[in-house]
Amino acid sequence: MLQAHQQVQATDIQRRQSGTVAARLLRASRNSSSNSRLLRQIALVSLLLAAIFPLFGGSFFTRLAIEALLFGCIALSVDILLGYAGLLSLGQAAYFGLAAYVAALMYLHVTQSFWLVLLTASASVGVFSFLLGAVAIRAKGVYFALITFSVAEILSKITHNTRAIGGSDGLIGIPVPSIPLLPGLEIEFANNYVFYYLVLGTVCLLYLGTRRMLNTAFGSVLRAIRDNSDRVPYLGYNPFWYKLLAYVMAAQIAAFGGLIYPLLRGFVAPHLFGFEVSTKAVVMSLVGGVGTLIGPLMGSVIITFLESVVGSYTERHLILLGIIFIVFVVFLPDGLCGLAQRTFGAGRKVKP
Amino acid sequence: MSKIATIAKLGVAGAFMLALAPAQAADPIKVGVVTPLSGTYAPIGKQVRWGAELAVKEINAAGGVNGRPFELLFEDEEANPPVAVRKAEKLLQQDKVDLLTGTVNSGSTLAVGQVAERNDRILVTTVSYAPSITGAQCSANVFRVNANAYMQSNALTSWLIKNAPGKRYFFIGPDYEMGRSTVSAFQNDVKRLGGTDAGATFPPLGAKDFTPYIGQIRAARPDVIMTATAGNDTVRLLTQLKEYGILNDKLTLAGAAGAVTQENLGAMGGAGEGFLSAAGYSTDIDTPANKKFVPTFKKEFQHDPDLFAADTYGLFYLFKQAIEKAGSTDTAKVRAAMEDAAWETPQGTKKIRKGDHQAVVDMVIVKVRGNDFQTVGKVPGEEAVGPDDCQKF
Amino acid sequence: MEDLLAYLHFVVLPQFIDALIIGVALALVALGLTMIFGLLDVINLAHGELYMLGGYAAFTLLGWGAGYWSALVLVPVLVGLVGWTLEELGIRPLLPRADRAIVTLLLTFGVSLIFRDVAQVIWGTETRSVAAPLTGITNFAEVFVPTYRIFVFSAGLLAIAVTWWLVYRTQIGAVLRATAVDPSMVASFGIPIRLVYGFTFLYGCGLAGLAGVLLSPIYAVFPTMGHDFLVMAFAVVIVGGMGSIIGAVVAAILLAQVQGLASLWIPPVWAETLVYGVMLLVLVIRPAGLFNRLGEA
Repeated sequence: MLQAHQQVQATDIQRRQSGTVAARLLRASRNSSSNSRLLRQIALVSLLLAAIFPLFGGSFFTRLAIEALLFGCIALSVDILLGYAGLLSLGQAAYFGLAAYVAALMYLHVTQSFWLVLLTASASVGVFSFLLGAVAIRAKGVYFALITFSVAEILSKITHNTRAIGGSDGLIGIPVPSIPLLPGLEIEFANNYVFYYLVLGTVCLLYLGTRRMLNTAFGSVLRAIRDNSDRVPYLGYNPFWYKLLAYVMAAQIAAFGGLIYPLLRGFVAPHLFGFEVSTKAVVMSLVGGVGTLIGPLMGSVIITFLESVVGSYTERHLILLGIIFIVFVVFLPDGLCGLAQRTFGAGRKVKP
Repeated sequence: MSKIATIAKLGVAGAFMLALAPAQAADPIKVGVVTPLSGTYAPIGKQVRWGAELAVKEINAAGGVNGRPFELLFEDEEANPPVAVRKAEKLLQQDKVDLLTGTVNSGSTLAVGQVAERNDRILVTTVSYAPSITGAQCSANVFRVNANAYMQSNALTSWLIKNAPGKRYFFIGPDYEMGRSTVSAFQNDVKRLGGTDAGATFPPLGAKDFTPYIGQIRAARPDVIMTATAGNDTVRLLTQLKEYGILNDKLTLAGAAGAVTQENLGAMGGAGEGFLSAAGYSTDIDTPANKKFVPTFKKEFQHDPDLFAADTYGLFYLFKQAIEKAGSTDTAKVRAAMEDAAWETPQGTKKIRKGDHQAVVDMVIVKVRGNDFQTVGKVPGEEAVGPDDCQKF
Repeated sequence: MEDLLAYLHFVVLPQFIDALIIGVALALVALGLTMIFGLLDVINLAHGELYMLGGYAAFTLLGWGAGYWSALVLVPVLVGLVGWTLEELGIRPLLPRADRAIVTLLLTFGVSLIFRDVAQVIWGTETRSVAAPLTGITNFAEVFVPTYRIFVFSAGLLAIAVTWWLVYRTQIGAVLRATAVDPSMVASFGIPIRLVYGFTFLYGCGLAGLAGVLLSPIYAVFPTMGHDFLVMAFAVVIVGGMGSIIGAVVAAILLAQVQGLASLWIPPVWAETLVYGVMLLVLVIRPAGLFNRLGEA
């Protein structure tokens, strides 16, 4: 009991030190975090750049950008949890992979209807994330991370070991569908540009929707939970349900990326559940800026393109990724958006 | 004004044509090699790379393909299908390669094969030996120039049944697609030829300790142990079999061609001595082409070539022949030129079977002696090659 | 009845003994991990790579003509020094942060990627081996165990005993245990916490290096070998209790037995997944693990 009290005191003290990420985030959130004017400008600029990109990108880079956006969904889901609920999830790839496999299996064996597949994948992920979240959220800090990590690993292993769903080779032959939007109006995914704008549009909506949701009372409670979850019940809120809702929401976003992936690449493999995918999503979030929502999307684009370009010149991409990790973790913990905020942003220090 | 303008226009046109003409002749044929250059399969990717580089060096020095040189573009696929697909697309759409090769593990080959299909290009694998690649999952755009698991199994088991003492066979395969299908090929052939299936076990891929299976092996009292492990797994398996005293003069060790290669033999400390496999290649194959190939390779890279290097090397001569016959790099024409093609390689003459794009390769039975592989038997390609299972084209 | 006895004797008993040996080696790796977490709150994802470095160091030393026995003594020291450097350069600057568990986890992950690639650059992609100093088999009640493995078992036990003695019976150990409970209190006694942390990393990584040397003749040496033990070691640390020395040893032996014996009855790939399942179960039901953290009652 004494220890718990001491811990609360200790964290309070540490919070006042200006060196911590949490403190910086707190200050930023006082300036209404993801909604701050600078971040909105960054988001707008990114959107404009993204909108004109295919015009000079060519088909490969456009498709790479689609992939970056899909993996960006995982990064976004990591950010919702890390930046807003204070939960580090090392297993968001589980939902990406789950949605991808459900979609793949549905396309191969059940139906060609995009909407049915979307529904099934979302529903499966919803149920799974609700159950897992209910169990995992009760665990503190690092244990939550470990639980999410082990679940993703278990799913990866199960997929790898089960030959009926493709085993280690995965499943190929997933067709490129066309989506009936309205009677008579069909969207052809085979056209890269159509595909790109559709995904960009949806990710935009997801981003805006998330931003909106996190700027309501719901978001404030989440942030309060992140900062000091012991005190929140005294305010009349049960942290558990808020965290769970955030968790399920985040899972749905990662799932969106997952269910589109087979349509882009035509196959799924157990690697989609992998630790590398989950951790890369965390790196993307870190690089862009945790808690900014636009940061992880930017981070995903940067990292995906960087890996692709660097890969052509050297096989030492692991060293590069490792160095990026380390540089951002040690020197730039609030990511590129944080850097922008410090350079162009408010600048005034708000006393806690 | 108009006279000067006309002369100027003619001059420009002339210069243009002069510039274009040699440019056309020197316009390189781009071949994308997407192969694992890092990670567990890096040793294989390295040999694939060397084989490609040597072939291209030789062909370009001799004038190229109808005057056009080959240009190699390498990408690291990390033996990870999502990455392989991304890199393959880059090579196809960004770098505009004319041909694709290099994939090692079957998952990557299948996924990249699909990408090749969607981009109307040809992928040739020189390493993957999963039967499904030219069987149930075959594609008009995918070719294979190396011996697949059926061929290896056919050749090896028929030789073993005739030459190895004893009839009890025990099988070990890593528990994933490749391992399971190789072992089942072994099992079927052994039973078909009259041997006894004394049991099989499937350790996880990457298992570090095989001692749980030692008891099972001992209980089975096998005369022959056949393994489908590769790379580090084989090193560990054989080292530990030796540790536990399972290896002795009366036991015959055999397995898939990729189980013991130049890249992992050194680490076995003699445990691999006498290991038998059926491969499409061995350094002591007695053809003039091979007698030239091996020392040139060794001089260039300070390593002996293994089957992955040799098959990749041979591929480029097939490309040369096919492109010259087709007169262009147009996919449909090259495909037609490649189907039913027969060409010279260090291993002798290979033929591509039209029905499934599988090369028919003369198999050699090789035995490990010290640090080398020695040929102890031969099985002609026509005998070793399995049935044509491809229904899709 | 006879069949059952024979089964127990010739199938289960050898498996039990082998798993015991693996368990001890696993304990060496897990001990370092748990000590580092117990004292510094740091999850060292690069621990597997330190085990790998141990193997490569042994390979290189033997290549330079050193005997196996000198390597056995030198390698843990060398790897320990690498660990210490990692701590001084990478971990120390991050310790004051409130979110240190997350941040150091990410940092060590980055370091592990770098180490893996660097190993490939320095030592190439082929598998390497280290010759075992002892060959031959010992017959132990009709169960055959390679003599070298018995040595590995004994050496591992010895290292565990030394660790236990160090932590529970010496002055240094007292300082370590006190630091796990209350670092500022210890600092106020004039003990340099900096050195305490450095020593923890040195010792923990040294143990991983020792495991690397001991196991290299059996498991071979290659750049991705760090993965062999890392996930299992984490499972051990979690099940045993993060920061508990006794927990690491008990859980290591336990989990190795679970995987080994399960391999007899279910496909071995699923036995692996089973261990993950056990880890998950412990995380959900009793996240603190079986034993309490170092220093706690």
